[in-house]
Amino acid sequence: MSMSERKLTPDLFRPANLDTGKGEEITKPSLSFWQDAFRRLKKNKAAMLGLFAIVFIIVFSLIAPSLSKYGMDDQELMRANLPPKIPGLEKIGFLGVDGVDIRGVDQYEMKNVPAEDKFWFGTDPLGRDQWVRVWKGTQISLYIAFLAATIDLIVGVAYGGISAFYGGRVDDAMQRVVEVLVGIPNLVVIILFIIILDPGILSITLALVITGWIGMSRIVRAQILSLKNREFVLASKTLGSTNGRLITKHLLPNTLGAIIVTSTFTIPGAIFFEAFLSFIGLGIQPPTASLGALIADGFRSLRIYPHLAIYPASIMCILMISFNLLGDGLRDALDPKMRK
Amino acid sequence: MLRYITKRVFAMFLTLLIIATITFFLMKLLPGSPFNNQEKLTESQRYALNEKYGLNDPVPVQYINYLGKLAQGDLGYTFQFDGRTVNSMIANGMGPSATVGFEALVFGTLVGLILGIAAALKHNSFIDYGAMVMAVFGIAIPSFVFAGLLQYYVGVKLGWLPVAFWNGPEYHIMPAFSLSVGVIATVARFMRTEMLEILGTDYILMARSKGISKQAVIIKHCVRNSMIPIITILGPMAIGLITGSLVIENIFAIPGIGEQFVKSINLNDYPVIMGTTLFYSFLIIVIILVVDILYGIIDPRIRVAGGKS
Repeated sequence: MSMSERKLTPDLFRPANLDTGKGEEITKPSLSFWQDAFRRLKKNKAAMLGLFAIVFIIVFSLIAPSLSKYGMDDQELMRANLPPKIPGLEKIGFLGVDGVDIRGVDQYEMKNVPAEDKFWFGTDPLGRDQWVRVWKGTQISLYIAFLAATIDLIVGVAYGGISAFYGGRVDDAMQRVVEVLVGIPNLVVIILFIIILDPGILSITLALVITGWIGMSRIVRAQILSLKNREFVLASKTLGSTNGRLITKHLLPNTLGAIIVTSTFTIPGAIFFEAFLSFIGLGIQPPTASLGALIADGFRSLRIYPHLAIYPASIMCILMISFNLLGDGLRDALDPKMRK
Repeated sequence: MLRYITKRVFAMFLTLLIIATITFFLMKLLPGSPFNNQEKLTESQRYALNEKYGLNDPVPVQYINYLGKLAQGDLGYTFQFDGRTVNSMIANGMGPSATVGFEALVFGTLVGLILGIAAALKHNSFIDYGAMVMAVFGIAIPSFVFAGLLQYYVGVKLGWLPVAFWNGPEYHIMPAFSLSVGVIATVARFMRTEMLEILGTDYILMARSKGISKQAVIIKHCVRNSMIPIITILGPMAIGLITGSLVIENIFAIPGIGEQFVKSINLNDYPVIMGTTLFYSFLIIVIILVVDILYGIIDPRIRVAGGKS
């Protein structure tokens, strides 16, 4: 009100400092593609939560087993099937970590377990410390998943890259092979391979890789096929770049986004298949255990000792969800088509 | 189109032949024969048994015979029961397996469609976020973990539904539901993306500006067009259902093919393993072929372009 009544006199104004150079000045530091992608990823809360959970579980699976004085296969039948007991939290009844089983009997008292022995995740039917087994199992599951993803990546990128880059007859021949392989259901191949190779970490990884690389190779091939004919590649070729330089400087860096996203989804897939194999009895053999094997064992006595299945199942669910969230976030961050 | 179908059918038989060859030679690679460890047999009895099952012939002859039988759909005999064929075992297990799979597929697709459509229509709202959180959980959590938890809480703790076995309609609910979780999640996510894309197209704007009511546009234009690409995910979904059924049938003790398959893996019943493997491969390959052909017929734009991975 008072604003409109006030008289605006010319002496209130001053000419602006005119500087022609200002228009050309870049105020924001220019971001590279990766900085930009990382900035977008950081904005995605779900993806960051997933990333944090993955890092947390990896770090924990490495240090947690050493927090217990028992090893993965230290059996002691006197302390079999103990429910979980966590010092500090045992007073809070509803958490169910007070050493009392579902019938309301304090198993620690009944079995005369020494007072300093507290099994955070309880013990299994052979009296092995479930805490150690769960985290070691997480390690093994993650190890298989990362190994499978790495081999998938190497084979897939090489196959897809060569097929697309050389094109013509090479591409034709290589794609015929892929067409037949794609038709074979991977479940079938994996089961057949495990039956001939004895179940173990390496054979499970191999079985996962045998069909796993095809998805990666197709994505890399499609990307490189479309990149190959772009002007910047032509320009680089005209300037005399060798094939090696073209691949390492132009084609691969531009495919990297798709490769990373695909790998992020390969890992939960591998974790799932490994758990699935363990579940139908073709997985890791005792005394070693993966998350899947622990869940399968736990389900057998779910009614009486729910703690045996609940902990590995929760960790597995958190891992799977986290990898999926991170993968979704990475896809949104790296795929320019999804950019808003 | 006809050329495309012929090419695909030919490729299908080639793939099946390769799978059959691999399974046959794997069976030969495995040490021992079904009659070696039974010490009660005399030499002549063992010879007679080998003769009966054609195991005395040289391997190439056995391979030809095997392929010949396979071409007639004969998968051989199981080791578990005397004189029973793998075919009859698959036929017995087919009923429950197909029922659970079908129920899961129908239920999952319906719920997934509704969730996906609701999420797209209420984009960036509470419903959208809720549906997508559910979808991520559904895709990420393995069906057997979900089934186990469901069995424990709904079956054992609450006692609402029978924990296991296959005796009536109420026994179908938990297995079909656990199997459908993945389907719900996949369909919901896919439908949401498709709907959002189509809601932004010009022809929807055009339809609206012509004065067609919002409901009519959504049902007749949006939903219909979004549903076409759903056909492409039917193939991967069918594979997921088969994979899931192996463990779900085991958890809920359903007398289906998956349960028998897992049992025969644990008993080293090779003819059943190989037969079921072939059966599953055949099923999956045929489903993918039918889906691809259907898609080519419904949407000619994508024809023969190699399809998505």
